[in-house]
Amino acid sequence: MNGPLPGPDFDAQNYARPNQNWTCGHACEGAPCRLGPDDKGRCRATAECKPLLETKPGETKGRWRCTRPGGACEAGPLPDGSCCRPISKCSPRPTLRLIRGRLTLATVVFSVATLLIVLGHGAWRNRFINPGPVSLAHSGAAFAALALTNHLNQNCGACHAAGNSGPNGMLHASLHANPGIFDIKGLVLAKTAEPNAIDEACEKCHVAKNFHQANAAPISCSFCHAEHHGKVMASTTDLNCDFCHADSAKMAVSRSTPVIHHFAEDHPEFRFISEKMCDADTLKFNHALHLTGTTIPKLPGGEKLDCAFCHRPDSAGAFMRPVQFEQHCRVCHSLQFDPETPQLMLPHGSAEFVSAYLRSLPKQYLDLGAKEDPATANAFAERKLAGLRSQFGSGEQLERRVFFSTATYGPQAQIGSLSGNTRAIFPGCVYCHEVKESPTGTPQITKPLIPERWLSHAKFNHAKHANISCEQCHDAVHSRETVDIILPAKETCEACHSPRGGVANSCAECHTFHNTREVRNVQ
Amino acid sequence: MIRFRRQFIIGMLALVAATIGVLWLHCKFHRLLPDYSFLTGWGLFASMLVLTFYNARKKLSFLPLGNSELWLQIHIYLGFFTVVLFAVHLNFRLPQGWFDWILATLFALVSASGVVGLFLSRFLPRRLATRGGEVLFEKIPALRHALRDEAEELSVGPDAKSPVVGEFYTRRLASFLSAPQNTWRHLVESRRFLNALLAEVEDLRRTGSESERTALDKLAVLIRQKDTLDYHRALQLALKIWLFVHIPLTYGLLIFTAAHIVFVFGFSGGAR
Repeated sequence: MNGPLPGPDFDAQNYARPNQNWTCGHACEGAPCRLGPDDKGRCRATAECKPLLETKPGETKGRWRCTRPGGACEAGPLPDGSCCRPISKCSPRPTLRLIRGRLTLATVVFSVATLLIVLGHGAWRNRFINPGPVSLAHSGAAFAALALTNHLNQNCGACHAAGNSGPNGMLHASLHANPGIFDIKGLVLAKTAEPNAIDEACEKCHVAKNFHQANAAPISCSFCHAEHHGKVMASTTDLNCDFCHADSAKMAVSRSTPVIHHFAEDHPEFRFISEKMCDADTLKFNHALHLTGTTIPKLPGGEKLDCAFCHRPDSAGAFMRPVQFEQHCRVCHSLQFDPETPQLMLPHGSAEFVSAYLRSLPKQYLDLGAKEDPATANAFAERKLAGLRSQFGSGEQLERRVFFSTATYGPQAQIGSLSGNTRAIFPGCVYCHEVKESPTGTPQITKPLIPERWLSHAKFNHAKHANISCEQCHDAVHSRETVDIILPAKETCEACHSPRGGVANSCAECHTFHNTREVRNVQ
Repeated sequence: MIRFRRQFIIGMLALVAATIGVLWLHCKFHRLLPDYSFLTGWGLFASMLVLTFYNARKKLSFLPLGNSELWLQIHIYLGFFTVVLFAVHLNFRLPQGWFDWILATLFALVSASGVVGLFLSRFLPRRLATRGGEVLFEKIPALRHALRDEAEELSVGPDAKSPVVGEFYTRRLASFLSAPQNTWRHLVESRRFLNALLAEVEDLRRTGSESERTALDKLAVLIRQKDTLDYHRALQLALKIWLFVHIPLTYGLLIFTAAHIVFVFGFSGGAR
């Protein structure tokens, strides 16, 4: 087959040019010109035909012939060879394709222009590209003041070097990033929590990383403290802690802490239980007796003695204030030594003071008598002292009884002149305290050691646990010995603080990573 | 139809498998790899470039890059997969900053317009096939012009003798025949306007003379043809107009994405 292939069924005369940018203005009238507009949208219409000069043999001038498609016109070409039927010029119309292309171009130009304008304007730039609110710690008034003294930029430049520059600087920084912008291998192989340049920015203000353990591996600040997630910095999750604590290789350097994944899973029992620790305090106190004993009198207001009478929360409500003798004990344990003279009570807090007070009893009775009737003060004092002498024999005997009497009932327990088997009002210092003989004369009372915090590596907030009773965690009603540490076991905490209990149970609920929060303040 | 169904099943299976795979990778690596979001970002950007290349592929028809139908299938299913990648890249959280919101909004608009376009291209051709045969969009103005000329000849031409028909043409048909009408009505498949117009013709026909009835019968045919022409124009325009959102915003999205890449590298690694 040597001849040309048959052409497709295509009406070239009325081609609509949908894939070109311009279409003939006469198309809507159903009579588009054959040429159509040029690439610039200019009408190329001239005449209905382009006459052809035919010269027959022997002729010199020749004859112009009409080449109009569809047949020659009646008038034929003009003598100068031009067509006699010029086509009226049209206004070519853009096709949908061109309109879409122009819209695309406009979008591109608008996008680039918007970026250049916004990024070129210092104040707009930081606000525009900020991926999220910075925490108050890094954006509040305190940070502004610190930034001023530490000669820091208060904007993005405080942490990001690129934040101090415009579009060129950002582009430069991105092209010199590490891992590089196209370093996919570097991105894949990057080590988790590896310190980076942002950490250097952190250390402009924060004292070099102060971890909870000196042998902890260096970790990037941003591994735990994710910025740009709101006014409150995103809280640390268990996964941050598990990075080390769930890794047996990392925890191999620790002598005491096992591998821990989660509090409810494999957190060890609290050490005071697992190591059977005891309260080393020498003060003798029976919680069970005070809470359940039938001999415990009612409080002055008529209420029954309970935990809250002695254990009062501090101003923040997190911890309990230390128990004070004057506030919590004296209401029952008044330290009266002479029941007939209740106005006189022994001082508390120092054995020397007690001893001195007992030796000054003549003066104490004299002053008391003078208050009531100065005329009979001497007689009052003599009578009282005589009563004490008849009962104890001497002042030294009285002093020994005050320090060392342990009896709570019976004549031996009596210090004053009450007779019969009645309850002692003041059994003696040794009833509660460890009292030792001393070669200097005055017995020594061992000072009670009551720690304000028992679990010093954990944080706790009593106020957040106000909806549960004390007994649910502290088994005080069964504690009869001072050696009992009446703190809850892990199981008690886990009942609520676990996925099963539904209460927050992350590591950070109880533990803090850093030892202290120190902030560098360069003047 | 069988071929189309086979393509659909293969495409959906590939999409579901890829989605499950990427979600599995996300669960496994998003905590493990410190630069995970950079990697998902590059994956997302590469996917967006492949999607954009579909437009270029149509212009580079001389290159042996596979047939256009295959590219369209890849464009559709990869487009859906890119939405999954986008969600993974954002770690299933909404953005917070101005720039990130613009970027996410552009992505959402491009994706949504693509879904709309897919919906239109699947359903409108079926509707077009039910009315009036094949009409080239570019020929519609000429056809409309011819219809108007014919109606004008019938109503107010030299041979027209009925003032009633002439008045009706001038009052109701001239504007109807001279420009596209009822685009929204056609999109929602409403024939209320056509029926109202034909009812008016019928009213005139009932009281008209024999010659007027003949003219009105011809006008009714022309009215139906013009309505069909408008129907084709409305639906074909809808098939083309969604690209006026999809394509320009795609390029805007690519520019903002390039800026995003500069920012994230400049402000993280770039600070080193």
